[in-house]
Amino acid sequence: MADGRAKTVLIVDDELGIVEVLEFILGDAGFTVISALNGEEALARLKQDTPDVVILDLMMPIMGGAEVLKAMRRDPKYSAIPVILTSALSEDTVREQCDGAYTLFMRKPFKSQQVLDAIARFLPSNSKSTH
Amino acid sequence: MSGDAQKLTRVESGIKGLDRVLHGGFIKGGLYIIEGVPGTGKTIFGNQFCFNQAKAGEQVLYVTLIAETVGRMLLNIRNLSFYEDAAIGVGIVYLSGFSELKNGGLTGLLHLLRREVASRRASILVIDGFAAAADFAHSREEMKVFVQQLQTQADAVDCTVLLLTNPSEQTPSSEETMVDGIINLTSSLYDWRPSRELYVRKFRGSSYLLGVHSFQIADDGLTVYPRREALSSSVGIDNGELQRVPTGIARLDQMLGGGIPSHSITMVVGPSGTGKTTFGMQFLAESSAQEPGLLFGFYETPARIRTKANAVATRLTRALDAGDAQILWIPPSDQLIDGLADRMLEAVQERNVRRLVIDGLGGFKKAVRSRPIEPFFSALTHQLRAHKVTTVCTAEVPEIIGPTMTAPLRGLSDVTENHLLLRFVEVGASLYRLLSILKVRDSDFDSALRLFSITSNGIDIAENSESAESILSSFSSHARRADPVRIAQEPGR
Repeated sequence: MADGRAKTVLIVDDELGIVEVLEFILGDAGFTVISALNGEEALARLKQDTPDVVILDLMMPIMGGAEVLKAMRRDPKYSAIPVILTSALSEDTVREQCDGAYTLFMRKPFKSQQVLDAIARFLPSNSKSTH
Repeated sequence: MSGDAQKLTRVESGIKGLDRVLHGGFIKGGLYIIEGVPGTGKTIFGNQFCFNQAKAGEQVLYVTLIAETVGRMLLNIRNLSFYEDAAIGVGIVYLSGFSELKNGGLTGLLHLLRREVASRRASILVIDGFAAAADFAHSREEMKVFVQQLQTQADAVDCTVLLLTNPSEQTPSSEETMVDGIINLTSSLYDWRPSRELYVRKFRGSSYLLGVHSFQIADDGLTVYPRREALSSSVGIDNGELQRVPTGIARLDQMLGGGIPSHSITMVVGPSGTGKTTFGMQFLAESSAQEPGLLFGFYETPARIRTKANAVATRLTRALDAGDAQILWIPPSDQLIDGLADRMLEAVQERNVRRLVIDGLGGFKKAVRSRPIEPFFSALTHQLRAHKVTTVCTAEVPEIIGPTMTAPLRGLSDVTENHLLLRFVEVGASLYRLLSILKVRDSDFDSALRLFSITSNGIDIAENSESAESILSSFSSHARRADPVRIAQEPGR
């Protein structure tokens, strides 16, 4: 990796099963993974550890993905962080709900290779991948 | 639940047939269990209810506690016609409650539900996989307290709650005694065919249709078919003045004293090939704008009738083209008997049908699963009378030739007012058709046997019974010649 440190991915999803699977896939691929179960937790985690990429679910309790996106885009510290938005909805519907503020969309349910390919678009090619 | 019975507001499920079973739908603010083993359709039930409510402008919260992710669940229901992508996130919000349950137990889950119902102003809450909550309960008492708190919360904000769960191993479970209603879904095989059934075990605050009701899951989700016997008692009958309805067969009308009594059910019974369907078609060909007709059949397709080159088919085709008659052909497939009845009655009501031909009873018999057909048919015919329909129903018997015949229904007289019997008689190398009227309720009729034939002009009945007597005499002497042993045993010989 270019600067010697493992890249950090923040996973934000209320479904514990999805968080755990992504932690496994990305951890195995050499990334440092941090997670949050709702939007409020996600904004708190951003302040603690600025991630290199965020994988953000749309529908969550307390604060959903659309609000997190708005907050991130308003703050210069986080506005440039790529956000991969995930949802079971179609992208047309999601785009309308989020004003297109995300960087990439990944429709649920997704496969592990899709996740790795999506991350690879934003992170250096020497990030380890097991697939 | 709070509030007196007069102020109970209904929440329609939007699931066809279910609101009829529940006499209007769920009761607002109530807490209901929808139980069934995996595969019985609970998730589709829950989602169909949610999408219908969202379309009606309600705010819906769907919380899942099951292993299946929300994405996978939505993928599985995406092709169902009630699904609308645009409703999700706006009218319906899907959340997982499993992490709250895992980390905080029932208390954590309750906090999530309270907070999300309040912040989203949800009037509908569905919890899928509620059995998982029981796994995190330390005792039955803790579960009872949880359900009570949930019920109180829901009632206070007029939020109607459905808990989708597996049947409890302990009966009654803690939650069963506390909820406002329980609907049970089952799925089984009967004789190689699928059988899905719904049963309301409990429903506080309202009457509902008792007993078991069939349901189907297809591209439009769940459809419930209320059991016909449970529906019929609500239908009243006005007997009025007895009139005669012509059958389209002049000699038969003479034998019947002018025609079939109006609003009655006539069963035309006979083996295959005796002409039962032709009787029905001639009756239907008399349809008019004032007496619309319907053939509800399992054998003849409309296209096949139009290709027949005979006078009956021609008259019938004219009536079909004029819109006075309609043929509803039901293809052979896994039908539900209550679904067939619904379809037939819908068609009757839609066109105000006055002449109905059911061709034949066997089609309904094939659709029956494990329950007896007689109460069903009795309920169905009761409703046809209430709709002022004069019905001819054909019924095949298995015996093609012979002195004995199996009645198509037990207690036939309880169900139908008029019985026509068609049969074959074999004399030498010839086959003859005989007709007799066995019964016409509250009427005089000619009960003598008559010979008849099927011609290009339809059913042709002999003018009197002489030809029938002659045939039967020939039959008798042929029988004697064929059986020398029997002749030797007759007294006096």
